Amino acid sequence: MTDIATVNAKDRGEARASSSTGLADPRRATRLVLSIFLGPGLLVYAGLTAYPAFRTIYDSFFHIEGLEATFVGFANYVELMGDETFWIAVRNTFVWSFIAPILDVATGLLLALALYAGVPFARFLRVAWFTPVLLSYVVVAILWMWIYNYDWGAVNVILRTVGLGDLASSWLGDPNLALGSLIVTHAWKWAGFNMVVCLAAIHSLPREVLEAAELDNCGWGAKLRFVIIPMLRPTLLSLYILSFIGKMKIFDLVWIMTQGGPLWATETVSTYVYKRAFNWNTFDLGYPSAIATVWFLVVCASVLILNRVLASKDRLEY
Amino acid sequence: MRRIRNVGRGFGLVALTALAIGAGMASAEAQTQITMWSNWPDEPAKKDWVSARVQEFEAANPQCQVKLSFIPKADIYTQAKSAVRTGQAPDIFYMEPDQPEFLAGGFLEPLDDYIDVNAIEPWAKPAWTAKGKLHAVPVEAYTLELYYNKDQVKKVGVEVPASFQLTQAQFADLVKKGVAAGITPVSQGVGDRPFPGGQLLFESLLRKLGKDDYGKLLSGELSFKDPRVVEVMTWVKGLVDDGAYPKSFSTLKLGESHFYFYNTPGALTFPDPSWFTGRAFAPPEKGGMPAGFPLGIMQFPAMDNGACPNCKTLAVSGSFVMYSRGKNKDCAGKLLKSMASVENGTKWVSQVSLQSGLKSDPAKIVSPHKAYFEELNARNKDVDYFFGTPLLHYRAKCAETYVQVMNNAFPAGLISVADAADKMDAACLKK
Repeated sequence: MTDIATVNAKDRGEARASSSTGLADPRRATRLVLSIFLGPGLLVYAGLTAYPAFRTIYDSFFHIEGLEATFVGFANYVELMGDETFWIAVRNTFVWSFIAPILDVATGLLLALALYAGVPFARFLRVAWFTPVLLSYVVVAILWMWIYNYDWGAVNVILRTVGLGDLASSWLGDPNLALGSLIVTHAWKWAGFNMVVCLAAIHSLPREVLEAAELDNCGWGAKLRFVIIPMLRPTLLSLYILSFIGKMKIFDLVWIMTQGGPLWATETVSTYVYKRAFNWNTFDLGYPSAIATVWFLVVCASVLILNRVLASKDRLEY
Repeated sequence: MRRIRNVGRGFGLVALTALAIGAGMASAEAQTQITMWSNWPDEPAKKDWVSARVQEFEAANPQCQVKLSFIPKADIYTQAKSAVRTGQAPDIFYMEPDQPEFLAGGFLEPLDDYIDVNAIEPWAKPAWTAKGKLHAVPVEAYTLELYYNKDQVKKVGVEVPASFQLTQAQFADLVKKGVAAGITPVSQGVGDRPFPGGQLLFESLLRKLGKDDYGKLLSGELSFKDPRVVEVMTWVKGLVDDGAYPKSFSTLKLGESHFYFYNTPGALTFPDPSWFTGRAFAPPEKGGMPAGFPLGIMQFPAMDNGACPNCKTLAVSGSFVMYSRGKNKDCAGKLLKSMASVENGTKWVSQVSLQSGLKSDPAKIVSPHKAYFEELNARNKDVDYFFGTPLLHYRAKCAETYVQVMNNAFPAGLISVADAADKMDAACLKK
């Protein structure tokens, strides 16, 4: 007994000695050690994220021509409020951000359920459906520009083949169809990602609950509606908000496929910021900075509101 | 004794090596490397012309070495916009007059003290002149032409007159006959360019209004609701509604519209700047015009009661500028001087089959496309030139509205004459 007590006392003494170096317990690390470990990361964050963000906000109060900056106060913001194109871009971006994620998540969920239900060739389909996620936006955009081509694109060729030639359209050239066509393209690209997340979530559902539902003669539809989807709610909401944030910043796909046209029907806030910064025959970065600042605040506010409205009971992670 | 000789040899070798290294370092120090960004990575004739000029310059000026890169135009603009601010821009880079902000921002060096300005065509100088100084070497120039397929036009029953200019009614008839025969009357697409859709309309407006009033229209001093403008727009709208343009107009790219015209499915006419040759004269297997294609050039139609039926747009495009904060202005200036010569202008016209802002010697032009050149020259004889396309005159919101409305929506039939005029006036008309 004495021996054991002696040994324990010795162990405690060694543990105390090692913790005094500040390495065993990170919470007790010295400031020097903390700064050595945190420094590089903080430096990168400060230089590549924080500084550009604050600089953008700062620049929004200036008119910058060439190398000269003139302080203009809130003039850029006042001008922005009366900018018709900006409001068109806001409308398009909101339509895209709120509606398209529903399509994205629903498609992902359907694909995941198909795999979970064991459709034929499930292993092949899982890879095939996920592949678009790995493609760059440039490739996806070019591919879908071919698919939407009026003369020889797959969509119109199929419509003509099945006798629905009257429905053949200029999918990217018609202002009424262009935004929807881009939304479909975007959903195609990201459906695989949503599918993988949903599939993982379905596989992690408690088996006993699903078995209990089956014992109660619960059919597939009812099981889906009353058991699976309610239990997947936190996952689906996380995917929705992730998708929402991504779409609030959408740029590349639009730029390659339509450049915001026709008649600004696909203009998004990001493409408009780019146009104002680089395609406006001016070096002024003040006005584009004001748009970026406003939009940064809108995205932050939207995410907070969505968090409140959709996820009052569940903690979301994204 | 032998050891002494060996030591002596060793010293000699070391001394020689040191001398050689020293000489090498001295020559490296004396050599200046300048950077140059050029457009036209995908246009072999133009690329070859630039490369040849650089090689000639390097051979004649061993103290100057040129790091030449061929970069697509849009990328040059985007990169240059950041680079000029931070002092990182290349010594010489490609620029077109539709990017006036570089000149206005003081980023371009005046070239009068570096080059022989007498080698530049007088009509090309205003595009790059500010405060009485020339700021670029305007290599590439063009006129707006209406190319046509002689056989197909004849086939639909339209005879092109000796003046090579149809009237308003005759052109409308050509469109109707083309549609009836199942041949697209006008090959045109705006899938990747901000200007082609406006060519037919704005060339017609130039002929209707004359140079002065057309200039006022482009400078925002004349409304798009002017009755003459509305009359021309209504006529063009009629052509659009009759099916003048391809159904794939909104997404058809410039290269594709070339192919559409002289290959599949074929079209009667093709409005295009005279840089048409860059693609059309490429080998057929690389998308060029088939051998023996019955190419003709006609004037854009004359408008009823038009003020200037023989007016035509002339413009400067590809030019080379010197960065005002560059550190190697001596070598850069010498390179631009060597490029800006009548001899090089002649070589450009011969090799590229396109007009140049450099003076050229017609007697020395040797080209496999001589017949084409003769026809182009004939169509440009006794022509009254207006300088600059709409996008050379329009800026900022007005330019963006032109791209969305006049380049795209109006010729695509998506918008009425009144709505198009409203939008253009809202963006361009000076209050």
